[in-house]
Amino acid sequence: MSLEQLIKNCINKDAQAQSQLYKQFASKLFSLCLKYSKNYAEAEDNLHDAFITIFNKIEQYNNKGSFEGWLKRIAINTSLQRYREDVGVYDIMNEDNIKDVSVDLNENDVSINYLLQIIQELPDRYRLVFNLYVLDGYSHVEISELINISVGTSKSNLARARMILKDKIEAYNATSNSRSL
Amino acid sequence: MNDKKNIDRLFQEKFKDFEVAPNDAVWERISESLPKKKKKRRVIALWWQIGGVAAMVTLLLTVGVSVFNTDDNQKFPIVNTENSTNDLNNNNNNNNNTNTPTKKSPNELNTVESNNKTQIVNSNIDSEQESNLNDSKDDTSQKTSTSKQLTIPNNYNQKLNSVANNSKVVKQHKSSQKQHRLSSNKDKSTKIANQTKTSNSNLKKNDNTQLASKTEIKSTIKEALENSNTGIAANKSSENTKSETPHKDLSKTNKPEAENSLIEIPEKASIEDAIAEQNTTIEEEEKEDDQNRWSITPNVAPVYFSSLGAGSPLDQQFNENSKSSDITMSYGIAGSYAISKKLKIRAGVHRVNLSQTTSDVYAYTGAETAARGVDAEFSNISFKGGEQHVSLISSTMMNKASTPELFNTKIAGKIDQKFGFIEVPLELEYNLLDKKFGINVIGGFSTFILNENEIYADINGSSTLIGEANNINTTSFSANFGLGMNYNLSKQWHINLEPTLKYQINTFNNTTGDFKPFFIGVYTGLSFKF
Repeated sequence: MSLEQLIKNCINKDAQAQSQLYKQFASKLFSLCLKYSKNYAEAEDNLHDAFITIFNKIEQYNNKGSFEGWLKRIAINTSLQRYREDVGVYDIMNEDNIKDVSVDLNENDVSINYLLQIIQELPDRYRLVFNLYVLDGYSHVEISELINISVGTSKSNLARARMILKDKIEAYNATSNSRSL
Repeated sequence: MNDKKNIDRLFQEKFKDFEVAPNDAVWERISESLPKKKKKRRVIALWWQIGGVAAMVTLLLTVGVSVFNTDDNQKFPIVNTENSTNDLNNNNNNNNNTNTPTKKSPNELNTVESNNKTQIVNSNIDSEQESNLNDSKDDTSQKTSTSKQLTIPNNYNQKLNSVANNSKVVKQHKSSQKQHRLSSNKDKSTKIANQTKTSNSNLKKNDNTQLASKTEIKSTIKEALENSNTGIAANKSSENTKSETPHKDLSKTNKPEAENSLIEIPEKASIEDAIAEQNTTIEEEEKEDDQNRWSITPNVAPVYFSSLGAGSPLDQQFNENSKSSDITMSYGIAGSYAISKKLKIRAGVHRVNLSQTTSDVYAYTGAETAARGVDAEFSNISFKGGEQHVSLISSTMMNKASTPELFNTKIAGKIDQKFGFIEVPLELEYNLLDKKFGINVIGGFSTFILNENEIYADINGSSTLIGEANNINTTSFSANFGLGMNYNLSKQWHINLEPTLKYQINTFNNTTGDFKPFFIGVYTGLSFKF
């Protein structure tokens, strides 16, 4: 079945089509949810909510742009929804302090699971901003609108997130290096 | 070995192909949360279909029952203006200029707006009268005079509400929902003294073409009776007419008494408009008839008559007697029209003969019958001339010890009751399976017109016609249920086998005991689609 037909059937609330659509995209969206959530359970909840939204609003998908992109936006929005009301106070970092953050690492040594773990361990908003900006290509302006913060806050949150992640990766490398020694 | 790497790139590369399959439980939760509209819709659709058929069957039965109920009380009333005053203002139910209170329901009238103005000049009595009918409840006043003239319009819930008829015109107008049949007969041979002049009649048509109704307007002039169409228009099913249209009446209006001349006053132009409109509808429908919607089926059926409950149509004393029925034959022809792929409506004409034999009856004639008691009076039997003294006694009523010796010497015989009908079924057929071999369910009702009615008794060992039953209604109805099977010989030819139960609703007037007659027929036919 073509994607178009699948979407059509989903619009008609065909249970089989819905199941198939889920199978086709669940993994991609779940990884997204994992990044934006602080733990596995929350990611599952977000995935659930995202798919409910997807199936309820699928007729609103207008065939412009990629369907996958549309699905991802919904998944991201659903994940963000959880934090929108919750406006925490974070340190505002001086933009001067923002610099290119590099890290020494042996790529192969860093497991994706560890990276996911440290992302999830980030404070909520740092995590959101980092994900949006670095992994999903949103601009600071877009981020500021999405999660209702200022552009400056977005930038400083990103810098903070990078710092934290860098530290953790370096710590990870140190332990793994020491282990390998 | 250790590259200095931008942390963004590290994450981007690592997460580029990052996919994690979620737990199956997530999908289960999602699918539970989703409204399963599609499935429900299918279920609803199926129920709609089945329910629709059931509703149609119920509807048909309701029509039959309501007709039956009203029929008992009302014979076709004829008011002869010869004997009446000139003004007849008493027909609230009839918004037409009519002297005859036709059976007509307010419901029907509600669907119709009429605004009639009818002026009739009756030159014979030098009286003129104007009748204004602005509403269904308006008084109808009309003057007619001269003997042998009657106005009997029947207007059933139709587009034609006001009818003005030149006395030289006989029009018959029948229509039914899907199969409008219109016929218009003009009879110019009338020579009646009455000259009516139609001056103004406005017709407003009810646009509701869903009304399957029949308007039958019949005017019969004495000299032209034969020219009138006596056909019976079958009333196709319709919601709006289901409970109210007493089409029994219509069949009666087809047989007006010859002495009466019937006058209607339709405005020709309006009627022709209506006819034209309906013809257009017919044409449109015919265009839609892509292929093979019609079929015709001659059929024959062995028929077995019986009844639920112990009772007798003849007399109370025979309630307990054993009764049996010969298998008789019914034959006829039926036509059907496929409304949709699944649903057919069909009608036909059948001849059906039924018989019932009541055993263990002493029948004798002679003077001794004068001594019989009250229980021997047979109110349900009209004895034919010369046989008035036939007496019938059930052997089950007798106590051997106290019976006159006369009976002990006789052999108990039997009574054969034979009756036959012309049956006009109107049924719906719903296809359950439509392949080479098809299965369908059939529901509907039949109208029966009595055409044979005889009672034979064994008198002195020979079966003798003693009279006829007087409690069989000349017109009666049955509710029909059947299961049809058909086998397609070719695209056009099919063999049908339809075991059908026909539960007779008002065949007998005055039965004793719990006598609920029905008959079962296995209708076999060869149908031709065209």
